[in-house]
Amino acid sequence: MQATLEDFFKALRGSDLDVSLNAQVDAARAVQLVGWSDRTLLKSALGATLAKTISDRALCDDVFERFFHFESFDFEKALAPQPPAEPASGAGPSEATAPPGDEPAKSQGAAGSGGSGGCRGGGGQALSQLLLSGDSAALAKRMQEAAREIGLTDIWFFTQKGYYTLKIQQAMGLESLEREIADARRQTLAPEHARRLELARKRLYAEVRNYVERKLALYGTAPTRQLHDDFLLSQRLSNIEARDFARMHVIVYKMAKRLAERHSRRKKRRVRGQLDFRRTLRKNAAYDGVMFETFWRAKVVDRPRVVAICDVSGSVRQYARFLLLFLHSLGEQVSDLRSFAFTNHLVDVSETFESLPVEQAVDKVMQAVGGSGTDYGQVLLDIHEQLLDDIGRRTTVLILGDARNNRGEARAEIMQLLYQRARRVIWLNPEPVAFWGLGDSEMKHYAPYCHIARECNSIMHLERTLDALLRAHSASA
Amino acid sequence: MKSFHQPHFDSVDVLARRFAAVDYIASRGIATAVYLGFNLEKPILVEGPAGVGKTELAKAMAQILDVPLIRMQCYEGLDESKALYEWKYGKQMLYTQLLKDKLGEMMAGAIGLAASMERLHAHDDLFFSAHFLEPRPLYQALHQERGCVLLVDEVDKSDPEFEAFLLEVLSDFQVSVPELGTIKAKVKPIVFLTSNNTREMSDALKRRCLHLHIPFPEPALERRILERRVPGLSAALNRELVAFIQAVRQLDLKKQPSISETIDWAKTLLLLNAEHLSLDLVRETLNVFLKFEGDIDSADEQLPALLNQARKDAEIHHASHA
Ligand SMILES: Nc1ncnc2c1ncn2[C@@H]1O[C@H](COP(=O)(O)OP(=O)(O)OP(=O)(O)O)[C@@H](O)[C@H]1O
Ligand SMILES: [Mg+2]
Repeated sequence: MQATLEDFFKALRGSDLDVSLNAQVDAARAVQLVGWSDRTLLKSALGATLAKTISDRALCDDVFERFFHFESFDFEKALAPQPPAEPASGAGPSEATAPPGDEPAKSQGAAGSGGSGGCRGGGGQALSQLLLSGDSAALAKRMQEAAREIGLTDIWFFTQKGYYTLKIQQAMGLESLEREIADARRQTLAPEHARRLELARKRLYAEVRNYVERKLALYGTAPTRQLHDDFLLSQRLSNIEARDFARMHVIVYKMAKRLAERHSRRKKRRVRGQLDFRRTLRKNAAYDGVMFETFWRAKVVDRPRVVAICDVSGSVRQYARFLLLFLHSLGEQVSDLRSFAFTNHLVDVSETFESLPVEQAVDKVMQAVGGSGTDYGQVLLDIHEQLLDDIGRRTTVLILGDARNNRGEARAEIMQLLYQRARRVIWLNPEPVAFWGLGDSEMKHYAPYCHIARECNSIMHLERTLDALLRAHSASA
Repeated sequence: MKSFHQPHFDSVDVLARRFAAVDYIASRGIATAVYLGFNLEKPILVEGPAGVGKTELAKAMAQILDVPLIRMQCYEGLDESKALYEWKYGKQMLYTQLLKDKLGEMMAGAIGLAASMERLHAHDDLFFSAHFLEPRPLYQALHQERGCVLLVDEVDKSDPEFEAFLLEVLSDFQVSVPELGTIKAKVKPIVFLTSNNTREMSDALKRRCLHLHIPFPEPALERRILERRVPGLSAALNRELVAFIQAVRQLDLKKQPSISETIDWAKTLLLLNAEHLSLDLVRETLNVFLKFEGDIDSADEQLPALLNQARKDAEIHHASHA
C-alpha cells in the first residue's frame, strides 16, 4: 500500500505538483481512514490532503485518473493478422470500467512478490502460453509486476525507454520465449507455430513499449524539469532564451514568495499598538497616582523603501528584466517600490507596474524604454534633478547596470551624494569583478560610493542580494 | 490538551447524514474533507464564491458536535491584540484612581523615585490578571471547556503578519501572553478558515490545512438543499427553479446567484403560490437573486431562452427519474 502511495506521489511530482512530507503523511493517514475500495472516496481523500489550491486539485485529480487507470494489455489484437496502428491503450482517463480499488490491490500483490526473480507472478504460466491464449488480464498483471520489480518508476529520461522496455520483457520471461521460438524454427514441421510466436513477441514488445512511454509521461517529467531548473538557476541571465521565460517567471515567483514568507515571519510583530500600562503606572507614580503621561507601545513596521534604477540597454536588459520581476514579486515585503529604467536618460516606469501584472509590465518596459548610447553621466544628472530629494534615510537605492559609459563623463560626484543621503546604495553589475574598470567601464569610480557593489548575473545572485536587502531591514526593525 | 474525539464518525457517509440531520446538505467532497479534517485534527481552508455555504458549514459542524461556534472575522489591520485579548485600560485606570489611597500607603516611606518604582513594581501584576482582560475570539476558543468550532472568516483579508501569528496558534493551540504566561487550549478546537481569494495565502498556512473548494452546487445537490431549506416547495417548481438558476450561472454576470439566492427566490415563489415558472413571474422576481442592475438587464434580455432551457432540463431530469 505504502509503495503504491509513494508511486502516486512520484507521479504527482511528475506533474509539477510539489507534495510536502507533511501532506504525504496526511494522505497516508487519510487512506487508512477511508480505505482503498471506494474509488471516488479515495480520489477525494487524496485530493483533500495533497492539493492546496484549486488548480493543484485539478492536477491531482487528473494524475489520479492516469495513475489508477486500469492497465490493459490488448492481446486479442496480438493474434489478429493485421496489427492495428493505433496504440493499445484503448482506455482513456475516463476508464469507467476500472474496478474500484483494482489497481491498489494488484500493486500490493506485486509488492509482495518482489523477490521471485523469474517473475512467474501470473500463476507461473509460461509467457508463451499467456501470449498465445490471449489472456490479457494475466499479461497486464505480469507486466505490472515486472515493472515494479525492475523499478520502472525511476524512469526519467526518454533515452531510457529502450532499456526499461527490454528489462520488463525480460522480467516477464522473454528469455524462455526466445528459446521457444528458436526451437520452433528448428522444427520444420511447425512453421505456423513459430510464426505465431514471433508475432506474439512483436506484440509483446509494442505493448510493453507503450506502457513504458505512458509511465515516462507520468514519472519522467519531474526529474527532467528539475535538471532544467537547476540549469536555469545558474545560467547567466543573458543566455536564457525566450522560450524559457515562462519557466523562469515561475522560478522567480516561487523564490520571491519564499523570501517574502521568510522575512514576514522574522518580522512578526511582537510589539502591539497599545497602552504600555506598566510604564505608565511607574512613570506617573510621582504624580500621586494621576495619569499624566501615558505610554503607548510603538508599532514599528519598517519595510524597505526601494528605488530600483535599471539599465535596459542591449547589453544588460535581460538582467534588468529579471531584477524587476523579482523585486515586484516580493509584494508587500517592500513598501513603496519605485522603478526607473534608462539607457541615455531616466524614465520613471513605476506606473506601468502599478497598472499591469508584473510580467506584462516588464515586457512593456523593455519595449518602451530604449534609445542608443548608454549615458550614465546623463542618467546621474537626471537622478540628481528628479530623484535626489525623495531619497532619505529609509531608502535603499538599487542600481543595475554594467557602468559602461561609452567614454562619457562619469559624474561620480552624484553617486557620492546618493551615498550620503540613502540608507544604502547597492550596485549590481552583471560583469565579473575582473572586468570592472576595464575599457569604458566606470565601475571603479562608482563602487566607492556603494554600500554594496556586487557581480550579479544569475538568478541565484539575485536571490542572495534581495535576501540580504530584506534581512538588513528586518534586523533593524 | 484533549482532542475532540468523543463523537467520532464511522465513515464519510455517516458524517454526511449527520450534516443532513442539521439541514446542511454536504456534497461528497465536502463531507470527505471535513471527515478527514476532524480525524486528522487539521484545520480546513475553505474557498469558494460568496453564498455557497462556507460559513454555514462551520455552523453545521458546531451543531453536530453540540459545541459553541466562535467566529473571528478578519480584516485589514486585525492584529494579535484584537484577535486574542485586550487589557481593559479604562478599568485599570479607574482602579488606580480608586485605590489611590492604598497606593499612597504602599508608597509611604519610600524615598525617591527609584524606591517608589521598586515598590510599585512588586504590585503591578495585580493589574494584569484575568479581571482586567477583555477576551477576544482566539482567547475564547482556547478556553472552551468542551471545545468549540473556530471559524476564521475571510482570512485572506488579514495582513501577512497576522497570518504568521495565526499559523503559530494553529500549530500548537497555545499562545504566550507576556503578562499571563502560556495559554493552552483545553480541547483542541475544530478550525475552519474561509477565503475569498483576494490574496494568496502563504505556503506555510496552506501546508497546515486541508484545502476544500466549494463550487456552485450540482443541480441534484441544489435540489436537495431546497427540499431541506424550503419545505412546502413542490417538486416540479423545485426542478424548474434549480434548472433556471443553473442556466443563469452560465451567463456572464458580475455576481452569479449563489445558494442563498436560490433559497431566497424559492421562498419568494412559495409566498406567491407559484406552481410553475412563467415569463412574467421570473421577470418580476429577478431582483431576488440578481443584485446588480446590469445583471438583471442581461438576464431579462435572454429570459425566453433561459426559461426554455430550464424547462427542458427540468423535463429531462424528471423523465430520467420517472
Ligand atoms: N449545503 C448546504 N445545505 C443547506 N443550506 C446551505 C448549503 N449551502 C448553503 N446553504 C444556505 O446558503 C446560505 C448562505 O451560506 P453561507 O452564508 O454559509 O455562505 P458563504 O459561503 O459563507 O458566503 P460568504 O462568502 O458570502 O460569506 C446559508 O444561510 C444556508 O441557508
Ligand atoms: Mg460567510
